[in-house]
Amino acid sequence: MTGRGSASRFLGAVLHNGVGRHVRQLQRLQLVFSPVAPDARGARQFVEEAAVDFARRHPDVVLYVSPRRCPAPLLIAEYLNGAVHEELVSSRSCEEIAGLAARLAARSGLDIVRIRKPFHTASPSVQGQWHPFTNKRPGLAARPNK
Amino acid sequence: MAAGAAVMAVGRRVLLGAAQRRALWGGFRKKEEELDIEKIVEPEEKEPSLRVPPPRSRNYVPPANLQSNLEILVKEIFGPSVPENWQQTSLKENRLKFLLLDQLASELGHTVPNSQLHLMCSAADVLKFYSTPVKDVSKFDELCAAELPPNLKIVWEQ
Repeated sequence: MTGRGSASRFLGAVLHNGVGRHVRQLQRLQLVFSPVAPDARGARQFVEEAAVDFARRHPDVVLYVSPRRCPAPLLIAEYLNGAVHEELVSSRSCEEIAGLAARLAARSGLDIVRIRKPFHTASPSVQGQWHPFTNKRPGLAARPNK
Repeated sequence: MAAGAAVMAVGRRVLLGAAQRRALWGGFRKKEEELDIEKIVEPEEKEPSLRVPPPRSRNYVPPANLQSNLEILVKEIFGPSVPENWQQTSLKENRLKFLLLDQLASELGHTVPNSQLHLMCSAADVLKFYSTPVKDVSKFDELCAAELPPNLKIVWEQ
């Protein structure tokens, strides 16, 4: 697929994050899993062993644990900019899920697509963009015909 | 004649009897009311005639003086054939093994399950078995009861 065929975006920081204090962009994590299904074993182990640890290490992320009847265990991450990212965690081990949760916590909610330019600025020119008449005498410009 | 028959056929199709109409719209409601009345009446009438005792809890907490008690018991049952280190007493003889395990079970209220009987080869194994506490609660209930950090919420949908 060419660059034109797939989605792309410009580089950006979310809400000028980092100008003041760093704000974690992950708002909440919801772990939905079945208490009896065999492919949710890793999820159950994660809840038993690693969830409390994760919650203590990331006090600004809310972790909702919902054991209920569901077709497959999911880890749903919601970010401050409104992006929702769902990850299927069926047949994954407890350590993998913990690593995945940590990675989701480190991300911002921006889409993972091709970035058009590796630079971006809100103020591209301070003194004014140069054009050929900058720093030339005023009479050089075209005069209306009389 | 044909016209008359046609009219009659039309009439039969369109004109539902009053009873049929009630069944379509009102009968359903009536049935619900009847059911509600029955439900309200039943719990009042039922007396707690069947008192089921609470299920036996499998909780076991090893007592503090377990080791000394076990030592005394072993020496009592095995008598002269106890080696230097009493924990190495072999439980080969089934009669003595049974006596020992039976006494422990009745004293502490916690029995060695049949599947683990073959693992009890020496007094040390018995000591290890009776030192492990057994909890009744499922891990989820335990987790809910434990002190969770404020940003961890467990949502039960039952």
